[in-house]
Amino acid sequence: MYGGGNVFEATKFDDLQTEDPAKLAEFEARIARGEKIEPTDWMPELYRKQLIRMIEQHAHSEIIGSLPEGTWITRAPGFRRKMAQMAKVQDEVGHAQLLYSAAETLGKSREQMLTDLINGKSKYSNVFNYPALTWADSNIISWLIDAGAIVNQMANARGSYGPYSRALERICAEEAFHLKYGHDAVVHMATGSPKQREMIQAALNRWWGPIMTFFGPSDKMSTHTETLMRWKVKMASNDECRQQFLDMYVPKIWELGLTIPDPNLKKNAETGQWEFTEPDWDEFKRVINGDGPCNAERLAVRRTAEERGAWVRRALLNPKAKYVKPLA
Amino acid sequence: MSLKSLDPRVNRLNLPDGEVPAMEPKQELDQFETYEAFHQKKDGAAFTYVGPVHAPNEDVAFLFAKEQYSRRFACVGLWVIRTEHIQVTPYGNDGENIYDTLRAAQPTEQSEQPEPYEIFHLKKRGKAHTHAGRVMATSYLEALQEAKSAFGEKGPVVNIWVVKSKDVLQSAEEDKDMWTTIPEKKYREAIAYKVMDKITKYKEENKTTAQ
Repeated sequence: MYGGGNVFEATKFDDLQTEDPAKLAEFEARIARGEKIEPTDWMPELYRKQLIRMIEQHAHSEIIGSLPEGTWITRAPGFRRKMAQMAKVQDEVGHAQLLYSAAETLGKSREQMLTDLINGKSKYSNVFNYPALTWADSNIISWLIDAGAIVNQMANARGSYGPYSRALERICAEEAFHLKYGHDAVVHMATGSPKQREMIQAALNRWWGPIMTFFGPSDKMSTHTETLMRWKVKMASNDECRQQFLDMYVPKIWELGLTIPDPNLKKNAETGQWEFTEPDWDEFKRVINGDGPCNAERLAVRRTAEERGAWVRRALLNPKAKYVKPLA
Repeated sequence: MSLKSLDPRVNRLNLPDGEVPAMEPKQELDQFETYEAFHQKKDGAAFTYVGPVHAPNEDVAFLFAKEQYSRRFACVGLWVIRTEHIQVTPYGNDGENIYDTLRAAQPTEQSEQPEPYEIFHLKKRGKAHTHAGRVMATSYLEALQEAKSAFGEKGPVVNIWVVKSKDVLQSAEEDKDMWTTIPEKKYREAIAYKVMDKITKYKEENKTTAQ
């Protein structure tokens, strides 16, 4: 799963002025030809910086995103669901490992990324700052948050950076099960007893707000965004991803007789675009900056795991070890 | 005061509530060294690069690579190589053959007797390196020259990895049964989830239609 909605920093755009024009032209020509960039290639600093930021946030989202669902493993109804839920959580943590390695090839160490996550310097997908109150919430996450993630990841897999594309190909293949598993769980509840229907509807109501913010605010089209699109770092705008998600999943929610808590949600027959109530971006900003229901808990859990495991890692460390960053 | 959570397991951790001082930056090598993993999808297929793992030693790297890269998809063999032990050529453009641009140079280190080296080719940027074959040589550079004459002429190669065979930790033929757990875990496959019947039945009973 993936926290989409990358809000790219509007850094000083004269970054590019300092780059060697000949090398920059060669780099851009390579991308224009449809070739991938590999770690040892020359690349503009802006490209490197934005990719590290994006891949690192993606990795953090996987590892933090496994927490709300992990909570429900022991309480999942029945053995089969426990095993499936556990397999899904294991996948997510594995995805974090793949992504950390992809970011490492660009020069940021895994130690530094983990430090920045725990100290709040790097972000992860904001939706994971909300709690999974019931088993039904966990099902909504498995289905709809993963669905959103897949929309994002399929787009990003076509991006220009080789190691990120390779990681995403594997991740997308594994996620196919998550989506079906989540859908199956939601259908089971929605077609079950009145009590089950009520639970899944309540969870959907709680999660719809966060889901609508999942892809991030509308992109401001700036030279900056244009450059990142030309370099195939950003593959689709946040709005395009949101529209695609609504197109694919609103009908699947409605066919179960569930309602979506937004009276303004409808597809405009003329434009073919979904219309909806603007998500609460003030709340989004407040939560992403630390003031959400679960921010403190998520980071505290991650930090405790790191701190309590530290002695094991120290004991295992070979004194002659030498760090070499991953090759690809 | 400890942090209150909905999750009883989190409550049992007795995590501190409120402001906490920043964590000290992690030390170098806290996450260990890196290894590169290659898998074999089926008998007779070439070993293909799947990605890196971090581990304190080769054996643990093998274990982690098995979990990370062979857990979900068919696999009958796994190789693990310390990243440090892989020599990498420059990357060419797609469609080029990097062997053509390699210039003969004097190796800095040479063994007295020829020893086996493994050669991996990247055919296209963004794809994965695959095992091209084994050559005998007294240095990495000689191994590249040998590789060029042995399998350098077959179409584009944009990048080459060269490794001494003795630096490759390989899964053993007699341990093959370790890969047989995958078919038992059908609940990890998308195909195990069939919801259409339930949805159709529900729709018939309730006559809802997608709005």
